[in-house]
Amino acid sequence: MCVGPGCSAGVSSWRLPRRGISEGDCFLRTSVIINVLFRESQCDGSTMKCARCLLKLQSLRLLGQSARPAAQHGALLQPASSSQPHMLQNTQHQVLRRFHRSPTHDKDRPIPADFFDEDDKKKDKSLVTHDDLFEQVARETKTKATFNKVVEVFIKQDVRRRGHVEFIYAALQKMPEFGVEKDLAVYNKLLDVFPKEVFVPRNFIQTMFNHYPRQQECGVQLLEQMESYGIMPNVETKVLLIQIFGAKGHAVRKYQRMMYWFPRFQNTNPYPIPKYLPEDPVDLAHFSLARIADDRDAKVTVYQLPCTDITESGEEITLPHVVGIQSPSQMELLAKHNPSRPVFVEGPFPLWLRKKCVYYYVLRADPVPPEEKVEEPYDPERSLAYPLQLDLELDRDLGDEESFDVEDLDEGAVFAMCMTSQGDQAVLNQWISGLQQNNPILGRVPTLFRLEQGPRELQGGHQTVSDHRHRPDPETQREEEEVTVEEEPRRSQGMKQ
Amino acid sequence: MSLPKLARIPSARLLTSILPHQLLQPPPHPSHQHKFPFQPVNFSFSKGIEGIKKHFTLLKKEFSERLVGPEGKPLLEHLLEQNLVIWEFRGPESLEQWTVSSDQEIGGQSEALLKLGRNDNTCFLYGALRSTPPRDGETRYSGYCSMRSKKLLASFDRKKHHDWSTFNTLHLRVRGDGRPWMINIATETYFSHQKDDIYTYFLYTRGGPYWQDVKIPFSKFFLSHRGRIQDDQHPIWLDKVNTIGFTLGDKADGPFQLEIDFVGVSKDYAHTEEFAYEMYERNPKN
Repeated sequence: MCVGPGCSAGVSSWRLPRRGISEGDCFLRTSVIINVLFRESQCDGSTMKCARCLLKLQSLRLLGQSARPAAQHGALLQPASSSQPHMLQNTQHQVLRRFHRSPTHDKDRPIPADFFDEDDKKKDKSLVTHDDLFEQVARETKTKATFNKVVEVFIKQDVRRRGHVEFIYAALQKMPEFGVEKDLAVYNKLLDVFPKEVFVPRNFIQTMFNHYPRQQECGVQLLEQMESYGIMPNVETKVLLIQIFGAKGHAVRKYQRMMYWFPRFQNTNPYPIPKYLPEDPVDLAHFSLARIADDRDAKVTVYQLPCTDITESGEEITLPHVVGIQSPSQMELLAKHNPSRPVFVEGPFPLWLRKKCVYYYVLRADPVPPEEKVEEPYDPERSLAYPLQLDLELDRDLGDEESFDVEDLDEGAVFAMCMTSQGDQAVLNQWISGLQQNNPILGRVPTLFRLEQGPRELQGGHQTVSDHRHRPDPETQREEEEVTVEEEPRRSQGMKQ
Repeated sequence: MSLPKLARIPSARLLTSILPHQLLQPPPHPSHQHKFPFQPVNFSFSKGIEGIKKHFTLLKKEFSERLVGPEGKPLLEHLLEQNLVIWEFRGPESLEQWTVSSDQEIGGQSEALLKLGRNDNTCFLYGALRSTPPRDGETRYSGYCSMRSKKLLASFDRKKHHDWSTFNTLHLRVRGDGRPWMINIATETYFSHQKDDIYTYFLYTRGGPYWQDVKIPFSKFFLSHRGRIQDDQHPIWLDKVNTIGFTLGDKADGPFQLEIDFVGVSKDYAHTEEFAYEMYERNPKN
């Protein structure tokens, strides 16, 4: 009769209110009546309502006498279906040690609406009540403080933390909105929402099986979110997890795995990126150029700092930053460059620093054709400490061939690199003319611009894209521009020298 | 050569940058016309002839290679080999040894494309990563692009494996854009539940216009299954390597590119480590 899920719902509801227990027999009877009555259409969301409706029933005592046979029948059947068979006796002794069902288990079974007030109904129309809690508390500002406040409000709402699994899932989802997704303290606070020592298995069979699967899954999910944001748990997390799920729970296992693998891969990147990238675009350009240049001797030059000017006509002019890098060996290469062959300014090329994408431009030449290649002997006195050429007859074994049998890629030399926030020719010309001060050969070498329709201004990339699509034939037009612009640096350079 | 003329030469670019708008749009959805399963199959006679030709050529090669030595090399060379280029990219047919996939197969929005780089001697993998999970109600994470080599096949489509047991280091020459990649090596397995077992390690790229030589000892590769690191680790068995793959999934939405010059294996005498991870029984075990 009431062996179905309805019965278990009743179990969780009659176990919860302590008030009812003192009334002993009578309470028991009414609770079973609920079982009998609402087997089909079960309580909505929280068991709170079950309890409330139960109190109402008690006060009414309408069916007390008439339902007695049914109650007895239900009581007989209950042990078979409830998770803990001896609970009935427990209530006789008035001992209520633990509630061994998730109170949220029976979430989706509505209780008949007759037992509720009107305002109750209004409040609980939404399925996602915990999202609401977040929205209510943090309506205007979404910060760590408000997030913590929400958690505190939830903790204080109810001693038994009903619906904590739903709350934690909702909170995990809301974390990026509040900007706390990388905050270990917040994760620990969320873990603290779990009731302690309730889900710890008490014998080896419970340990063996999946004890409180929904709660454990939720705990693992929390750890997984930490993992995906790259946050290493600490001892507090461990203590909390052990208190909640016991030393051998799935969540603790997950914690152990994280603690094993995280430190292993923490420092594997040979090109580390700081945790917080510099905010200032010039500093960022400095850092990224030094990273890609791969040369300690390379010198970073700031050709122009970003500034905003107001001209006489009242127009506001924003000058972009231009930061370049060149190493001594690159200068040497450029000095040897055949002046009849052009050099190219190319870009923008993307460079990713974690989640940030910056763009750089290179000054380079085409590969030297084989007939023009000059094999230059090393100058033995260039470096006395480290001889650049060694011809030692080492005892090599027959198969000691260390190099791969692949053709070398000849792609032409890179002479310099630069980064700017606005990659049009006027700005890049400024870079080239700045480079001329140290590389006089650039005055004689034709410079061609091969710029792709990239993000002119890195923020408004989309706009420029659409602009370029409207052009009739960007390819030819660009090349004409190249030729015309190319004359310019010569003149300007002539003035300088 | 006059300058205007020079400027009209098709640009031979050092680097190629792929910007989001240059990417190909995803192909239009195929109209769902009803077709019988046998209809797309090509039953032509010429195809059969080609198959016979291909397989018998392979068979002949296998027989004649044996006469020279193992794997078609003289025995001495085979024994003393220090390094071996496994994949290099020379011409469009070398790209046919690779398959490119992205999370579009699970309903995601990333796209990955493969082409030859400049001078047709590198492989250029590019595309855009988008980590919006598909709205199917169960997929929680998305956003990956990968390139995987095809399995080796002997004549008549028999299985064949790479045998790298004499080498201990994977050697690559790549040029990336600063994003971290994963290198996945899949080996032959026995049980069907092991088919997604792959050995993984990270490939960090520096970014910038220079090539970078990456040496990754095989001892560093750890076992993972469907993206989860396994508790029970063991060193990779190099005698039956099926495929190698490169996967990007760093959750940074935007365009990506990776240029690969070659993939090889080498023997590094300075490297003596057998396995980088603990093998003793630890907690949690399994």
